[in-house]
Amino acid sequence: MKKSAWGLVDAFFDEHNLVDHHVKSYNDFVNHRIQDIIDITEPIELEQGEYSVETGQLEIKKPFTKEADGSKSLIFPTEARLRNLTYSAHMYLEMRLLKKDESEPDFEKVYIGELPLMLKSDICHLNGLNKEELVVKGEDPQDPGGYFIVNGSERAIVTMEEIAPNKIILERIGEVEDRRARAIVTSIKSGFRARISLEYRKPRKTGVFLRISFPYVPGEIPLVVLLRALGLSTDEEIITHISDDFNYQMIIADDIQVSDQGLKLEPSEMEELSQEERRQYLQTSAIKYIGNRVAKGMTEEYRIRRAEDVIDRYLLPHMGVESETRAEKATYLAEMTEMLLQVISETREPHDKDHYTNKRLRVSGDLMEDLFRVAFTSLTRDMSYQLERSLARGKEPSVKQAVRSDVLTENIKHAIATGNWVGGRAGVSQLLDRTSYMGTLSHMRRVVSPLSRSQPHFEARDLHPTQFGKICPNETPEGPNCGLVKNLALMAKISEGSDPAEIENIIKKMGILE
Amino acid sequence: MTGILKKISQINFGLMSPDDIRSMSVTKIVTPDTYDEDGYPIENGLMDPRLGVIDPSLKCSTCGTKGGECQGHFGNINLARPVIHVGFADTIHKILRSTCNTCGRILLTDSEIFDYQNKFKTLIKNEESLTKIIKDVYTVARRDKCPHCEEEQEDVKIDKPVSIVEGNYKLTPSEVRERLEIITDSDSVILGVNAEKAKDGTQVARPEWMILTVLPVPPVTVRPSITLETGERSEDDLTHKLVDILRINQRLKENMEAGAPQLIVEDLWELLQYHVTTYFDNEASGVPPARHRSGRPLKTLAQRLKGKEGRFRSNLSGKRVNFSARTVISPDPNISINEVGVPEIIATEVTVPIKVTEWNLEELKGYIMNGSEVHPGANYVIRPDGRKIRIYDEIKETVAENLEKNYLEKGELGYVVERHLKDGDVVLFNRQPSLHRMSMMAHEVRVLPYKTFRLNLCVCPPYNADFDGDEMNMHVFQTEESRAEAKSLMRVQEHILSPRFGGPIIGGIHDHISGAYLLTRKSAIFNEDQVFQVLRKSKLPLPDRTGKTWTGKQIFSKVLPDDMNMVYRAEVCRKCDECTERSCKNDAYVVIEDGELLSGVIDEKAYGAFSGKILDHIVKEYGTDQAREFLDASTKLAVSGIMKAGFTTSTNDEEIPQEAKEDIEAYLYEAEERVDKLVAAYDNNELEPLPGRSLEETLEMKIMQVLGEARDKSGEIAESYFDINENNAVIMALTGARGSMLNLTQITACVGQQSVRGGRIDRGYSERTLPHFQKRELGAKARGFVHSSYKKGLDPIEFFFHAMGGREGLVDTAIRTAQSGYMQRRLVNALQDLSVNAEGKVTDNRGVVIQTLYGEDGVDPAKSDYGKVVDLDKLVDEMRIKSGK
Repeated sequence: MKKSAWGLVDAFFDEHNLVDHHVKSYNDFVNHRIQDIIDITEPIELEQGEYSVETGQLEIKKPFTKEADGSKSLIFPTEARLRNLTYSAHMYLEMRLLKKDESEPDFEKVYIGELPLMLKSDICHLNGLNKEELVVKGEDPQDPGGYFIVNGSERAIVTMEEIAPNKIILERIGEVEDRRARAIVTSIKSGFRARISLEYRKPRKTGVFLRISFPYVPGEIPLVVLLRALGLSTDEEIITHISDDFNYQMIIADDIQVSDQGLKLEPSEMEELSQEERRQYLQTSAIKYIGNRVAKGMTEEYRIRRAEDVIDRYLLPHMGVESETRAEKATYLAEMTEMLLQVISETREPHDKDHYTNKRLRVSGDLMEDLFRVAFTSLTRDMSYQLERSLARGKEPSVKQAVRSDVLTENIKHAIATGNWVGGRAGVSQLLDRTSYMGTLSHMRRVVSPLSRSQPHFEARDLHPTQFGKICPNETPEGPNCGLVKNLALMAKISEGSDPAEIENIIKKMGILE
Repeated sequence: MTGILKKISQINFGLMSPDDIRSMSVTKIVTPDTYDEDGYPIENGLMDPRLGVIDPSLKCSTCGTKGGECQGHFGNINLARPVIHVGFADTIHKILRSTCNTCGRILLTDSEIFDYQNKFKTLIKNEESLTKIIKDVYTVARRDKCPHCEEEQEDVKIDKPVSIVEGNYKLTPSEVRERLEIITDSDSVILGVNAEKAKDGTQVARPEWMILTVLPVPPVTVRPSITLETGERSEDDLTHKLVDILRINQRLKENMEAGAPQLIVEDLWELLQYHVTTYFDNEASGVPPARHRSGRPLKTLAQRLKGKEGRFRSNLSGKRVNFSARTVISPDPNISINEVGVPEIIATEVTVPIKVTEWNLEELKGYIMNGSEVHPGANYVIRPDGRKIRIYDEIKETVAENLEKNYLEKGELGYVVERHLKDGDVVLFNRQPSLHRMSMMAHEVRVLPYKTFRLNLCVCPPYNADFDGDEMNMHVFQTEESRAEAKSLMRVQEHILSPRFGGPIIGGIHDHISGAYLLTRKSAIFNEDQVFQVLRKSKLPLPDRTGKTWTGKQIFSKVLPDDMNMVYRAEVCRKCDECTERSCKNDAYVVIEDGELLSGVIDEKAYGAFSGKILDHIVKEYGTDQAREFLDASTKLAVSGIMKAGFTTSTNDEEIPQEAKEDIEAYLYEAEERVDKLVAAYDNNELEPLPGRSLEETLEMKIMQVLGEARDKSGEIAESYFDINENNAVIMALTGARGSMLNLTQITACVGQQSVRGGRIDRGYSERTLPHFQKRELGAKARGFVHSSYKKGLDPIEFFFHAMGGREGLVDTAIRTAQSGYMQRRLVNALQDLSVNAEGKVTDNRGVVIQTLYGEDGVDPAKSDYGKVVDLDKLVDEMRIKSGK
């Protein structure tokens, strides 16, 4: 490389730290996402809405520690390390208890728990200190930060690699000749993951080619039935929504015929119905069909309600959970179906799962978000339990007394201290490698794939050309983790994602047609 | 050694009847409490003293033996209501399905029953497996109507794990038991339950015994309680579970006696069933595992046995042993291949038991007097009464005196002294993974200073050992029989030839080979002083001085047997079109006449591991003793030889002149152009597909071929500038000591095509590997051809492709080790009982013939000539030399 090019590299590192991805992501979590989680969480309601708890703004104080004698003092990371303390900030949340038909009281600030702090993040004491000041505070001026101190041990949260959510992934099952394929979307809506899987396969005897499965519906249901339930009632609508290609239309037409047998339609009943009534009739029979699956043995009314609820909430939740989005979801599924049929007829290549465009990295902020959401939910659950108890005893309920801050603190602390994250994942946070300075840096740029180490997964372990410039081609452990544990390339940055509405705006401004 | 030996004629596996359980039990267990306030066990509680003792200071109130000797005694719990045993739920279901719900007869017609009974008889007579026919019975015996009482049958289903449902009605265990009770003994046999009455009227099994009415309570020795430092008692998981069972059992009994409503009784009954189920298996599917207060699932009976950490795999198939040692290994070229260097600190810890006799009494006394700290000492004396006395400095004199006195004066026999390991003892040496028999070989001990095991470099290949931190295990034989067996069968020298390919697996490596080459090549001439230095250093007999110069070949001939004759082509042989034999310019034609190396160099083909011909010849013709001597002497000679010359390598060895580089460059460009032409031809549809291949495959194959040639050719150009006489790297590559010519040419000329799973690299972005290329580009570089040499350096794209190829190798090794381990386990399990008898017949442990002649040719591969019975060419060559032609 020419000398001048090295200047460019230097300039890059003047601006970007090697652990920027952790710090930035954590800052975003602290500054925006925590508040979002609190705002989104369903408010506590007691006694059929007689009482309710409203939450307001969250305040995170700079880290301090409470001694046994009750005195408070600011705590710096070195002290936490030496005294086996947790370097964490106290969180205060505005809350008030609303009583029906009574005036709203003022918000009061309630201490809800502690949040372990990432070193060198915005609310860390070390943020913005220069070298000399850092030395005074007992820190290594070269230390990059980006990790936590829990019970005196330094813990780094390892970046997780996952298949890109909210994106259709087409894959072939078996060989081309088997004519089997699957389209998968992992739809994520505020922490809830709903995996939708649409499969095309030869039915065993007579049956449906296209079957779809999604959460809370046991087994698979015919795609056509689901589309009907979503409002594409007539055969024509379904066929034209899926494809213009005659060949595919034929497959769907066949499928419709077979699936309809399951709907228990009464042709005699349909004859006298008007166009609109027919649509309604077809849609409700499809919903009933699903209702029989999700709530077997219940009353018909409940079955229908439950089926509609499941469709709205657990089918492609990233497109919205309101019943108005059904039409949009139907279109999405129809398009997905066409893509799947194209894979079957070999006019479209299935996706390369190891292509880095189909991967997303979840950095510490994202993982903390998962953790906080669950911890906060258990806090609200505990609060409503406490409130109910004091009500049952005939005491005047008070928010301040109902909050047991330990619930939140311990939930978060325990997860970081042991690495056992919510959702049963282990080893998410790891003891920071201090073998050498480089070891530390490397540890914080580590990327772990959730694929099991016991299976071969040859393709996933290979160095994929799309990793060029993003993942280090050399650094991977030997042995069972080979190629599954990776490291970011030296000059790779992780982007933080943007607001979809903003992007939509920009695209619209560019003159795209609706 | 004491006791009466009896031969087992038959083993019967069966079920325990409630009477069996009661009769073997020493007490009824009633109270769920274990200890009273004072910490004494409660009578009729789970810790009842009659169930056995753990404390060695106490005596068992049942059998009178001390703790540690008493194996414990069973108790029993009378269950208030019967429950189903989880382990038999499946069988019970199958039996109920195949029997009538009213008359209890098997759902087979009389003629079918007769038929099956006969089949059973013949199978039992022929000692064949009954599983298949029983399975057959269960499929046939399913009828809607009983052939005996004409009753309609309803379908019996099992709701995992223990509920048995008939139609829509859930049968209670009592009802199930009633049904099983009425099944006749003869019907049971056909259903796979051996209910036949023996002559004395005893039965091995009855179907209803699969329902528990009495629960055996294992002795306390099986579930010892632990006393924590705080004085708190912590009970075993089994005890906890038994407490649960007792509590519910008692409540159930009370409720039944009080005439509680049916619903409550049934609930409690269910609960009792749950506790008994989890007591047997806490991981049964369909039952939530019983948990500790802390949330940890309890480890109950099935969990103790199952899996890798279970009793079978970790305590019965694999055991931990005494008299073993483990430490890091390091090389020692000065000890024999038969030896192992044992650190003194280990030698004083692991011992050999020696029986005291008249002839070794003085010697053993000496060891005792040395004590347990000084090296050739002893750690214990075992008296004839079995008492073991540890030897301390304070008592060693008295122990020695007593030994002598008792032995000589009182004539007491049977003293054993456990003396330290000393030089010449035979031990077993092992390195994991123990994949073949050469992974465990017997070595002779050489007690040496420092803390590592030392081993001769020649035994690295069979153990697959190196010295980057490898550790090995040593085991000391404790009986004369084992020592004798090991010495004749397991000694290293007996394993020079591998049964894998019929050639030596133990032999010279690395410097042994380049050293021997340096010593025996044509230009190696030594004066007498040098020769004597070399011979002295290799501990060879010194000849008389003559004042003449020696050739290296003459020196090497000193280690060859005097009457040896052989001819072969050395590793350095370039495989010329026409062999000039003795006048070979590479000196690759090796001729040994009457133990004199006349022509040719000594290299890997001579005595290297895996391919040493001379070594192979010596083992087969002169025996293993000679072979060991030859190997010890020749490796020492080679090492002193290489020390005379000195040996080093650097990147300068991979340097070639500028014009060579230009040649290579020109050739590679030309090859790349040829690839481009092929691609162009493909694009213009001018390419002829090869038979059976598509156009794309043809193109790929042709390109691979061109690029392969390009690398080889550029390598050849580089090679032509390498001279074995002035380049140590080339010496190593050509003699087979280390590295290959390919390694060298990749450093100098061209690294070549990188491949992932056998083909050029074709994954990546859509229609191209990297964004640095055009879409659909098929040229050499775009698909992973590395034009540069390692020495010149790779450009970023080449580097990345190289990393891709490298990653595949890493992944392969990682996966392969895991997979081969599992495969080995299964193979060993399948083959462990096979044996070859004297006539070469292969049988299994029952005497069933697997092969009439081992390997179908009866050849022991270890004694064969590289797998063949005989190598005629070799014999002819030898004879020719012997006869003087």
